[in-house]
Amino acid sequence: MTSRTATAPSGSLAEFDRTTTRWGQITMTAALLLSLAAPIYLVLTTDLGITGSMIWAAYLAVAAAFFVLWFVEPITYFPVLGPAAMYQAFMIGNIANKLLPSALVAQATIGAKAGTKRGEFAALMAICGAAMVHVTSMLLFVGVLGTYLVSIIPADVVDVARLYIFPSIIGAVLVQLIATMRQARVTVIAFAVAIVVLFVLVPAVPALAKPATGIVVLLTATLAWFLRSRKDVAAPTTLVN
Amino acid sequence: MKTALTPEGASTDILAIANMPVLWVLAIGVFGAIIVQSLIYMKAAQKAGPAADISAAELKTSFRAGAVAAIGPSLAVVLVSIALLTLFGTPAVLVRIGLVGSAATESASASLAAGTMGAALGGPDYTQAVFVVAFMAMSLSGAGWMLATLILTPILTKGDSKLRKVNPALMMIVPAAALIGAFASLGIAEFGKTPVHIISVLVSAATMFLCLVLAKAMSASWLREWGLGISILVGLAVAYIAHTSGMAPAA
Repeated sequence: MTSRTATAPSGSLAEFDRTTTRWGQITMTAALLLSLAAPIYLVLTTDLGITGSMIWAAYLAVAAAFFVLWFVEPITYFPVLGPAAMYQAFMIGNIANKLLPSALVAQATIGAKAGTKRGEFAALMAICGAAMVHVTSMLLFVGVLGTYLVSIIPADVVDVARLYIFPSIIGAVLVQLIATMRQARVTVIAFAVAIVVLFVLVPAVPALAKPATGIVVLLTATLAWFLRSRKDVAAPTTLVN
Repeated sequence: MKTALTPEGASTDILAIANMPVLWVLAIGVFGAIIVQSLIYMKAAQKAGPAADISAAELKTSFRAGAVAAIGPSLAVVLVSIALLTLFGTPAVLVRIGLVGSAATESASASLAAGTMGAALGGPDYTQAVFVVAFMAMSLSGAGWMLATLILTPILTKGDSKLRKVNPALMMIVPAAALIGAFASLGIAEFGKTPVHIISVLVSAATMFLCLVLAKAMSASWLREWGLGISILVGLAVAYIAHTSGMAPAA
């Protein structure tokens, strides 16, 4: 019983950090490459006449709308998740509506505080548990059952569903966002900007149709910043992923 | 731009290419990466548990608590995913909506991408080529989050980084503005389409509002989780009635 045994238990925290960082990065990179391989495979092997400029145009439109969030979400979640769970969370997805609640429940169950090592380990195990449940239910209920379900639904129902699925998502998502953000001023600015850009600016300058959403995002962010209420206190933001 | 497409590219049989076996293999590969990661993490946590002052039993309890807590939200994601199957095919839905992203971001990305091709998601001009470009854009957008995570996590881990000291007001207002701006723009754009599109947006929004009000009034948090799935179903049901009663332009 020397003091060495106490300082060198079966596994050290430094070793844990090393393992999770290395394998977190390896598995996330693998997932990144696999997920990009699918559309690249379609572009390369199908003869659909897709050009590089079409992909660029689409990418720029998407990037203009989301590039702020690419950076803001990881920075926002880092203090809650800790380094190891970051590589899990941004691969498993649905962080705000599934992973964070799971992590919080686990921490509460064993009485571990967020920000401590105990809390970090509890969150990590909870996310592993959530991941297993999620992977199983996606493969089983969407992969197998869902595919079968779609094959037996009448074709005219499928056609109509496909036609109106996006408006049926966007209305609900917008209300959910507004309700969770609770930023009335930003919401009003966003709607005003969107209406002006889409129904005044774009009809006048049709070339702006493609980057329209990016323009709305930039204008809203700029206006919201300069028109912000100076007495608001900073509150955690709920994000989309 | 559409004239550049080959006749095959103009086909609207999305599922013929969206469900190709190779895509299934790649999708299952992403699931594999997550499973492997979880197994390695759990082993590492068990090994280092004593050093983190957490017992093996507590690790197991945490795993189980996380798993149980995820059942409801997971099934809610399943419902939304099934609704999107006809749009993107199973492999793309499994990876994009089920994993990496969320229904909100991914369908928004796809809609933006389709817009640059002069098409609307699921519309008569939603061809195989539009689907592939939309799928590419969703994947590249998702890659943005993953790359940012891969780059920022080591920086944030090093601690006292300038990133954490970003003005809190800036961190509160800019992301909120970017998010609400993006989705408000996409939502309002639907008002420039057919009356059935407008009805779908309004019904879906009203259903979500009702879900949130009821969730709060009855403190039923499951309604919050299932809100999106319920809103999509109600929105689609009303759209179907409106569409078949002749409100949509003959296209």
